[in-house]
Amino acid sequence: MTYFARRIGFFVLTLWGAVTLNFLIPRMSAGDPAQAILEQVAAKDGYVDPAQLEAVRAMLGVPDASLWSQYVDYLGNIASGNFGVSYTYFPYSVTDVIGDALPWTIVLLGTTLVLSFVIGTLLGAWVAWRRNTGFDAVVTVGSSFLGTLPFFWLALLLIYVFAITLGWLPSSGGYSGAVEPGPSPEFFVDAWQHFLLPAAAIMITGPIGWMLGMRNNMVASLGEDFTRFGRAKGLPARVLAVSYGARVAILPNITGFALALGGLVGGTALVEQVFNYPGMGRLLLEAVGNKDFPLMQTIFLFSTVGVLVANLAADMLYGLLDPRARRKETA
Amino acid sequence: MALVEVEHLSVDYRSRDLPPSHAVRDVSFSIAEGEFVGLLGESGCGKSTLGNALLHLLDRPAHHAGGSVRFDGQDLYALSERDVNRLRWREIATVFQSSMNALNPVLRVAKQFHDAMDAHGWREGVDGDRHARIREVLADVELDADRVMRSYPHELSGGMRQRVVLALALLLRPRFVLLDEPTTGLDVLVQRSIVELLRRIQREQGFTVLFISHDLGTVLEIADRVMVMYAGEVVESRPSAELATNPLHPYSHGLLGSFDDPRAEHVSVAYIAGRPPALTEPPPGCPFAPRCPSRLAACDDVVPTLDDAPEAAGPGPSLVRCHLFTDVGAAELGAGTVPETPRFAEVTAWSGAASSAEGREPLVVVEDLVKTYERRRGLRKERVEAVRGVSFTLVPGQVRALVGQSGSGKSTIAKILTRTERATSGTLRVDGVDPGSLRRAALREYRSRVQMVFQDPFAALNPTKTVGDSLGRPLRNYLGLTGDALWQRVLELLESVGLSPAATYVDKLPHQLSGGQRQRVVVARAMAPRPRLLVADEPISMLDVSIRAEILELLADTVREQDVTMLYITHDLLSARLLADDIMVMRSGEIVEQGPTAQVVREARHPYTRSLLDAIPRPARAGAVPAGPTATESTTPTGAPA
Amino acid sequence: MSAVTLDGPPAVTARRPRLLRTPRWFVILWRNKKARFGMVLLALFLLMAAFAPWLAPYDPRDGGFAPGLPPSAEHWFGTTGRGFDVASQAIWGARTSLLVGLVAGTISTLIALAIGMTAGYLGGFADEVLSFFTNLVLVVPTLPLMVTLAAYMPGGGGVWMVIVVIGITGWAGGARNKRAQILTLRNREYIQGARQAGDGIFRIIFREIAPNMTSLIVVGFIGAVGGAIGAEAGLAFIGIGDPETISWGTMLYWASQDGALLTGGFARLVVPGLLLALLTTALTFINFGVDALSNPHLREQ
Repeated sequence: MTYFARRIGFFVLTLWGAVTLNFLIPRMSAGDPAQAILEQVAAKDGYVDPAQLEAVRAMLGVPDASLWSQYVDYLGNIASGNFGVSYTYFPYSVTDVIGDALPWTIVLLGTTLVLSFVIGTLLGAWVAWRRNTGFDAVVTVGSSFLGTLPFFWLALLLIYVFAITLGWLPSSGGYSGAVEPGPSPEFFVDAWQHFLLPAAAIMITGPIGWMLGMRNNMVASLGEDFTRFGRAKGLPARVLAVSYGARVAILPNITGFALALGGLVGGTALVEQVFNYPGMGRLLLEAVGNKDFPLMQTIFLFSTVGVLVANLAADMLYGLLDPRARRKETA
Repeated sequence: MALVEVEHLSVDYRSRDLPPSHAVRDVSFSIAEGEFVGLLGESGCGKSTLGNALLHLLDRPAHHAGGSVRFDGQDLYALSERDVNRLRWREIATVFQSSMNALNPVLRVAKQFHDAMDAHGWREGVDGDRHARIREVLADVELDADRVMRSYPHELSGGMRQRVVLALALLLRPRFVLLDEPTTGLDVLVQRSIVELLRRIQREQGFTVLFISHDLGTVLEIADRVMVMYAGEVVESRPSAELATNPLHPYSHGLLGSFDDPRAEHVSVAYIAGRPPALTEPPPGCPFAPRCPSRLAACDDVVPTLDDAPEAAGPGPSLVRCHLFTDVGAAELGAGTVPETPRFAEVTAWSGAASSAEGREPLVVVEDLVKTYERRRGLRKERVEAVRGVSFTLVPGQVRALVGQSGSGKSTIAKILTRTERATSGTLRVDGVDPGSLRRAALREYRSRVQMVFQDPFAALNPTKTVGDSLGRPLRNYLGLTGDALWQRVLELLESVGLSPAATYVDKLPHQLSGGQRQRVVVARAMAPRPRLLVADEPISMLDVSIRAEILELLADTVREQDVTMLYITHDLLSARLLADDIMVMRSGEIVEQGPTAQVVREARHPYTRSLLDAIPRPARAGAVPAGPTATESTTPTGAPA
Repeated sequence: MSAVTLDGPPAVTARRPRLLRTPRWFVILWRNKKARFGMVLLALFLLMAAFAPWLAPYDPRDGGFAPGLPPSAEHWFGTTGRGFDVASQAIWGARTSLLVGLVAGTISTLIALAIGMTAGYLGGFADEVLSFFTNLVLVVPTLPLMVTLAAYMPGGGGVWMVIVVIGITGWAGGARNKRAQILTLRNREYIQGARQAGDGIFRIIFREIAPNMTSLIVVGFIGAVGGAIGAEAGLAFIGIGDPETISWGTMLYWASQDGALLTGGFARLVVPGLLLALLTTALTFINFGVDALSNPHLREQ
């Protein structure tokens, strides 16, 4: 179980690292960070709102205290779930604001993430099985091009075509103002309609990274000696493709899952912004626009922790699927 | 009727950017049911490609360029993929060259047995109980079935994996098994045990075998008949015993000459200078002609055919592809002339060294040397004792061999001497200093005096640096040479290791050189700073047999001419016998036997030394193991007759 | 491959292998169809950026045209909602993208090289710390990190701030690859050989190891340039940095802000996005060719 212990250890360490990074970023600028922040706010709005002052103070702790005691206070606040007060949504706490946005992002990102991974991996395996054919060339080159299209640009095009020109789907928001959010069929239908376009914007390019990764891994695993040996054994093509090619190739793709995640979160943020979708990404950009530092910091922390958790899950899955994992770790 | 019939088989390697390379050229042979045939050749001769073609497993860029492979009358290249698949494993099984990777890393061993059984419709009632069968084949290869079946491949040692693959091959009682270098990469003693196992099972079960190998001793010892391959063609096909005692083709002569019994009183070994031709453009005449000492005028422009050998060659079915035995050659030689035995360059065991070294102060004194490695496994620390209390001295002008299996700790001693690592305890003095205590300038100075020749000539030279650049570094760093002086010295060094004319080599990149040429450059680089101690770690084990002696000769000359001390590290007692004045035999971190070479080899006292000696295949015993009709036990070592 | 004899005395032998080898590089790249396509495309973009003042029909900052004009002979892609010529802005935008891409790509490649190679070559505790840091940066979601960093950056924005933010956030993946590569390279016997030949640590890292990583470094750099170009566009689109900068990202920002979608300014939307995609595609395709370079089969001859 050394492998799992090490992965959990890494998770705890990175979690601490992320929390500390979050503490350090606002304090990187020279001088009094609170002062610097307030100057920025003043430059933007021309005055400093007392509520904002309070929020910043709450976020940064006692300004004259040593960095260490600020750090201890900060950790204590996080442990007790106290992330301060949002300036934009004053007097709501940051936690409340995030609590409203989080489910939207989890549904949007979670669904597209899983679908992207599954579709990408399956497609990659299929292309790899038909490697060096015209089909392979077309799919590989085509998706390489498609993969370069920016998320937000695709989102804009989708809105232009499906919302504005064709008028089939709504162009913005997570639900219509006319529908009361709640567990009613009307709401689900409405939310589903609002969900389709943002999801499509992510799904056009989302699977490509995993697809290309899976293709390359599987082309490699199909060229390995054990696959050739499997061919010499006269195993049927299906067994070779699944148990020899794909079964081995999917392992690095799971590790790749973790690496792709950080980028996808950012892409989703942009898509949310374009669609005015009430999730964390839009909230983050709103917080940045309003210089709502407590909110911004907390969202950064939340998204990092979210990615770390997903990462840990991928690592655990990897450990279950690859019998060599434990050995590699100690070697 | 023959079980396997190959006719005019050709395989090309084709790629977009390079001219096609004809790896297998018009090869024809047949193998009778129950026969054990060896296919012998050096790297690049096309033997593995031929093996893949027999299995209908050619992968791009290799292409089947013509000819047929008939198995029991059916042409594999005329059958559909589905029909070929039906023949696979039930009829034709194989063990690959790199069996280390032949097992799927993510499936348990048992599953890989079931795969094969499922694919070929194992009939529980007719074929017997499947679990019983798996147990039976695993027991045949002397493995603990329960443990192995539950394991993943990475949990098994190399030798065990090899046995598992062998068991897999025999699972469905195939009629034909193709073994492609089945023991390469394994330890000598493990190799030995697998070869013996293989021969025993084959005799019990009677399947047909084609055994592909570069290891002449093993092939001759294990096979009934041997085909020798050179430059994509079969050049000789003979019953093993006949080939061992009376090779016909000059190339076979050369190969056999590279073997000798290290225990004989006089040991000498031949080598074949030069290198095989590139196969992009097959030569107009005999491809071996440029390296052949018995070359006739016809050899340069008339391609010899594979024909029946003269009657005098022996009673067995013998084929040879050489003008010495063709009508063309006979016309040139004069009818009735018996061709002379080809003479290759030879290296003879050197036995007068001790005298020159006698009475000199030792250069290296090692006393009670210990090296322990600590490895962290999770929270526990694990200690591995690589070297435990080793003592010896090295005298200037002396070559001392350190012989042992992999893992015996011999390379650790090399690392400590070259100060790549430090000893855990014990005394070590090299040329008056303790390398372990050296820092910076002193360490640099030390390195100029202690140099190393590496095992793998393909890895020892930076692929992006020309030969001249590689050789120039030590000269610049240690001797402070620059400009023309540096260049002049580089050229001299190249000449001194036999790379002549030096100007043709100096701008070459490593990949443009053959293995032997690369190893010469490595030796030249090691000699550049005029070291006092040369540590050579298995310098010939990665080279083709036919050129090994050439490098041994170079090392021997270097030591004698430049009066350096050499520690020669090897697993191979024959090369130790040829090169070394003294031998130390090492096992599990300890020296178990040491003394003058001839004494240690010829009158080995320690059982471990004896087991190492026994593991050396002896071509002279060819045919002795199988109960062949032509078996002759020869007591005299074979080699190129003097 | 028979040995050829050279004429003339040995001392005359030229020592210009590096110069002689360079063209082969290019030849192999050029022979690869995808890479050739990528190189031609990239060259077009470079020309477009270099000759922007001559190519662009108008001053990109000249807002004196009627807003929201449809494409016409005078305004190939129409005008923006604020009365700028779209075509001129698109041509000038290549400068920003290439500038940000090249400089930020260089910064992150250099950081990746320094951290990856040090970690890989030194090993031990230094490796543990650096690798942990690398992995940490690798898993932190990039855009939120960039956005957060940008919010605190002094100087309020502008291209250089964007470059710095992208450069210091985008190195982790490259560092990881370089570390892995150096780990396999540093145990090669020729590295030990160089040590025996008396070469120092920096010479070993940069002259012995680095040349064997050329294609990895080039692939990493080109990837980083592509990533930086995309990141610049994304950041500009959400209004981070100076929205008055002329770049494809800010063009999309303004298009989205002034409702180009609703008013039918389709060209304003399509042109910058397509240019972005084409530039990134050019880089991706060049990388296909560089990959082929490192393919041992093509190298062997």
